[in-house]
Amino acid sequence: MLKGYWGKMRGVTKSPPRVGLQEVFWSWLGGFLGISAVAGGHFAFFEGTAFMLLIASFGASAVLIYGAPKSPLAQPRNLIGGHVISALIGVTMLKLCGPLIWLAAALAVSLSIAAMHATKTLHPPGGATALIAIIGGPKIQQLGYLYVLLPVASGILIMLLIALLINNLIPTRRYPEFWL
Amino acid sequence: MMGEEKLRREPEPEVELAEADVLAAMQELPGYLDITPYDFQEIYRWAYRHAKSRLAREGKAADIMTREVVAVQEQTPLDEVAAAMGERGISGVPVLDDQGRVSGVISEKDFLRQMGVPGRQNFMALVATCLRTKGCLALPIKSKVAKDIMATPPIVITPETPLQEIAALCESRGINRLPVVDQEGKLIGLVSRGDLVRVMSPGGKTC
Repeated sequence: MLKGYWGKMRGVTKSPPRVGLQEVFWSWLGGFLGISAVAGGHFAFFEGTAFMLLIASFGASAVLIYGAPKSPLAQPRNLIGGHVISALIGVTMLKLCGPLIWLAAALAVSLSIAAMHATKTLHPPGGATALIAIIGGPKIQQLGYLYVLLPVASGILIMLLIALLINNLIPTRRYPEFWL
Repeated sequence: MMGEEKLRREPEPEVELAEADVLAAMQELPGYLDITPYDFQEIYRWAYRHAKSRLAREGKAADIMTREVVAVQEQTPLDEVAAAMGERGISGVPVLDDQGRVSGVISEKDFLRQMGVPGRQNFMALVATCLRTKGCLALPIKSKVAKDIMATPPIVITPETPLQEIAALCESRGINRLPVVDQEGKLIGLVSRGDLVRVMSPGGKTC
């Protein structure tokens, strides 16, 4: 039995093939334009204010929606649902177990994973969005539930718009695979 | 719209997987799968095509042979042989000795030759009936057994025989069905012309 346990760690197959150079370029372009839009918006409208449009987990979403747009993890349902649900859970955990940051963080991420699974919205960057609600600093903590709408929902909608525009311009791509 | 035109066109496998099949399969696997049913269908279509051309290129008898083969014994009366072939609509059967080794092959042609029938009619069921009544073409072989009319020694192949070689054999000897035997000459399978055509034709349709 123990042999089987260690044996499982060997892996069973090969890593999938590398994508073509064109694909690399399109992924780069999508990532550049998508993050430009939210980062540009952030510095144009919210710099020096109490609000923001850009958080780190958008970088992770960019990998999925511009780099692996066929993945179920990258579809609009997952992108929006994953971030919004995780943001809600993150803010709620901060409010519930405020001083115990480690517990708030662990609960926020783990509950987000569970909730995303349960709602068919699994989107890995959602875990980061939940975590950022707790360890993102005083500015984010002060947003309270506004965090869910701005930056999270607003920023992610801009990223989604860019993904729709860019991915469908590319001959070998289409996006999304499904909406709901 | 622009994208649709340039997306690669998919080949068509013999067995189409419906989206519902893939969804059902995905539900049977316990973990989360990072692939859409559509992508899986697409990969399946292409992988199927690759598997087929690999089989045609480097396949062996063992890869395509039928394992449940109808065979007769040397002492099987010819009416039973003919009935067995007629019922299944097959044009030939291997004949086994008492050790289970292939000692010969009987085909329609062997019957027709014995009966003095010219041409290439394929009415095995009729022959079977014929053998059981008096005064027909089959009369001269009515009391004979498989061993009396079988072609021997038989042309046989092993599980390791490459498909290319089998195709060449079928072509040069004008035969449709090749018994597959193990090292002791015992019957373990059969490759028919139809089996070959199925794996070797690029379109994937059976003749």
